[in-house]
Amino acid sequence: MKIALKVNGKKVRVEVAPDEMLLEVLRREFGLRSVRETCGIGVCGACTVLVDGEPISACILLAPLAAGCEITTVEGLGGEHPVQRAFVEAQAFQCGYCTPGMILTVKRLLEENPRPSNEEIENYLGGNLCRCGCYVKILAAVKLAASELQGAKQLSLKSRG
Amino acid sequence: MVDPRVTGAVRYSQDVELEGMLHARILRSPHPHAHILRMDASKVPEGVVVLSPHDAREFGRYGPQIKDQTILPLDRVRYVGDPVAAVAAETEEEAEEALGLIEVEYEELPAIFDEVEAASEEALLVHDRIHLSENDAAYFGIRPRQGTNVCHRFRIRHGDVEAGFREADVVVEETFRTASAQHAHMEPHATLARWQGERLELWTGTQTPFNLRMDLAGLFGIPEEQIRIVSLPMGGAFGAKTFVRLEAIVAALARKAGRPVRCILERDEEWLTLNRHPTTIKVRIGARRDGTLVAKRVECWANTGAYADCGPGVAQKMGFASPGPYRIPNVRVDSRAVYTNLPPNGAFRGYGQMQCTWASERAMDLLADALDMDPLELRLKNVLRNGDRYCTGEVMRDVHFDECLRSAAEAVGWSEGRQGKGLCVMLKGMQTPSRASIAVEKNDDGTYTVLCATAEMGQGAKRAIRLLAAELLGVEPGKVHFPDPDTDVAPYDTRTTSSRSTHMMGRALEVAVEDLRKNGRRGYGEVRDEGGLDPDTGQGIASSHWHQGAAAAEVEVDEETGKFKVRRLHASVYAGRVVDRAGAELQNEGSMIMGLGTALFEEISFSDGQATNANLSDYNVPAAGDLPELMTHDLIERDGAEIHGLGETALPPVPPAVGNALHSLGLHVTDLPITAESVLEAVDRRAEREVAATGHAPEASATTTVARRAARVLGVAGLAVLGAGVLALLVRKVRG
Repeated sequence: MKIALKVNGKKVRVEVAPDEMLLEVLRREFGLRSVRETCGIGVCGACTVLVDGEPISACILLAPLAAGCEITTVEGLGGEHPVQRAFVEAQAFQCGYCTPGMILTVKRLLEENPRPSNEEIENYLGGNLCRCGCYVKILAAVKLAASELQGAKQLSLKSRG
Repeated sequence: MVDPRVTGAVRYSQDVELEGMLHARILRSPHPHAHILRMDASKVPEGVVVLSPHDAREFGRYGPQIKDQTILPLDRVRYVGDPVAAVAAETEEEAEEALGLIEVEYEELPAIFDEVEAASEEALLVHDRIHLSENDAAYFGIRPRQGTNVCHRFRIRHGDVEAGFREADVVVEETFRTASAQHAHMEPHATLARWQGERLELWTGTQTPFNLRMDLAGLFGIPEEQIRIVSLPMGGAFGAKTFVRLEAIVAALARKAGRPVRCILERDEEWLTLNRHPTTIKVRIGARRDGTLVAKRVECWANTGAYADCGPGVAQKMGFASPGPYRIPNVRVDSRAVYTNLPPNGAFRGYGQMQCTWASERAMDLLADALDMDPLELRLKNVLRNGDRYCTGEVMRDVHFDECLRSAAEAVGWSEGRQGKGLCVMLKGMQTPSRASIAVEKNDDGTYTVLCATAEMGQGAKRAIRLLAAELLGVEPGKVHFPDPDTDVAPYDTRTTSSRSTHMMGRALEVAVEDLRKNGRRGYGEVRDEGGLDPDTGQGIASSHWHQGAAAAEVEVDEETGKFKVRRLHASVYAGRVVDRAGAELQNEGSMIMGLGTALFEEISFSDGQATNANLSDYNVPAAGDLPELMTHDLIERDGAEIHGLGETALPPVPPAVGNALHSLGLHVTDLPITAESVLEAVDRRAEREVAATGHAPEASATTTVARRAARVLGVAGLAVLGAGVLALLVRKVRG
């Protein structure tokens, strides 16, 4: 079956099997290698993508259910998104395998809650595992990104005013 | 350039493809021990390549220390998950379907799972004969006990342990157990193989490219130079990506198919590929009234599963580190790697160190209790200092156990009170003997290329080596290229394990840069650390330098439920010299968090040899919310000191620090992980001890025991009601 998607800002129509997951489609059809399978059951977050802005485990989302949706992967953020920059500055990674999913989840977290507490960050990231155990620096990266985004917001308010 | 880890641009083994590539899947045994009576693959469609035990007959045997594996078992499976056949097809779906069309008839055999039982003379045999490997075995002298399941036995004989115990005023003895664990590296094992004539090329996430090449050369009967191994970045490894994993099966399939073949493991297959050794460790330790240690006896049984892998090495390291960083005049250690019908167990961050540290450092607190001494004081009185001899006979230098311990104790406010607090100190060896070599080439554009076999799995060794090279060459780190290890071009290295890479390669690099200065275009550097231990006496050089660490924990226990929280956790690690600050911190933090998982909940459960929690929902690994309220660490440095490996040092001290913190509350636990149930049992045992000591039950304790038991029953009922309510709500939401 053919479905319409918007992938990283680009409108596309793509042939998918009714029983395949979005993860396979993104890797196979669009070469988006940042979407990675680990647990295969939606608990580890390595395959996180944003579906209409919400973090979703692409390994358990049937591709046809994403029809008409806007999909964002970390490739779609470029490389200079404040959350990406904060991860680099805090060195919040080791092997980098879980990092794309982590960054997308944090992006959404900060949209919902611009000044999260440590506990709120820990809860929100409960579905994104990092086996290298970079959590201390990931928490620092979230705080950094939050203050950068807050700063940017204030700047843009000022320039508008 | 933006770091490829934040743009998703890193390419792991699962991301590489070749034109005309087939996809492989593996058929696995459902039985822990069985004869393969018959295999029929006639229903598999034409065009799907099937590798059967029959094909495996034309190749040799492999194994890094004991040659106990063929590409597929020839006539007998030895664990649930043992590969019995493999297929390669145009798509993964076709390959998966083909597996279901292969019929295998088995005759089940009795199986054995417990390491102590399996080590007895009467136990059924997992392997009829134990064949040594020329690969790694020569390093340390494997001592198999033919006719038993003990595939290696390592000993330390130092002083006269019986006389030592006679001298002791206080002796304590306890048996400890540790569970099996899964590495749970996020990126699964993945391998791509291609044959070009008699030349084999492999792209695979491996920590051990040269060991792998040697094993495969023996297996396929071709010279090592005809095999090329490219080790791509790994999405975590922690020891799981060592030696031959998928590579033999995938290479054999590619040879039979005449086309490239790739295999990516499914998550549940990771539990069937390599895990951490479960162990039983018995410790007896004696001291004089003033706390001076006089004798120690340790017996270790390391359950290596159905194939030895590097189990002999793990048993050796577990054995030589089990006396701990102390001066003890009389030591006797017997450490065994034992075959059972569990999946193979091998290298796992710590390499046996976590297990022996758990037993030994828990025993130290038992001894402190018996002596009525402060556990910190007891340790400080006995720790090894510069110039002391370890029980292996080697003289210690650049050791800082005292400082590590004091710093850890201070971090949890030890002097303000010890209730709920625990300590641990340990020494850990580095692979010895060991050899590293590296080449540095000057390019026409003013940049340099470093060629070495150090593999990147997230530990940051490549960054550290690049920083060191830039410093020595006097250029910006960006001017130093460091391609993925490729055995065709990189010089020999023992392997990327045992926290050795920055230490060994850093020294080799100094030689290489010096050589480059003389030769202009290419410099070569090599270092060799000699040493090794006599397997029968444990005398010699265990480690060319020692990894040193301590940890302290503070816990808060809910004695009604047995649940407890680690409130504070601190690790102090001797770094010598830090090369990459953030990288070093990440190693400490990552090790501590992995150590917490081991202490609190990580355990593979088995039922008749079948892993029953082979998924990341039932097998928990630490998440962000599992961090203690306060987690801190130190990297201890000294001017002019050499670089000390940091990749594992902060892991082994964590579980004993947590266990000892419980012990400070009178709660003695012997097994890892420390479950709420085991803490509740410890609460009951403490109450029984109080009854025995005072002749009557402490009032509060008796009432709480009754109340707690009632609460447990009510709690279960309450949870069920609550669960039903939530379910009803969910159903309504879905329907609505």
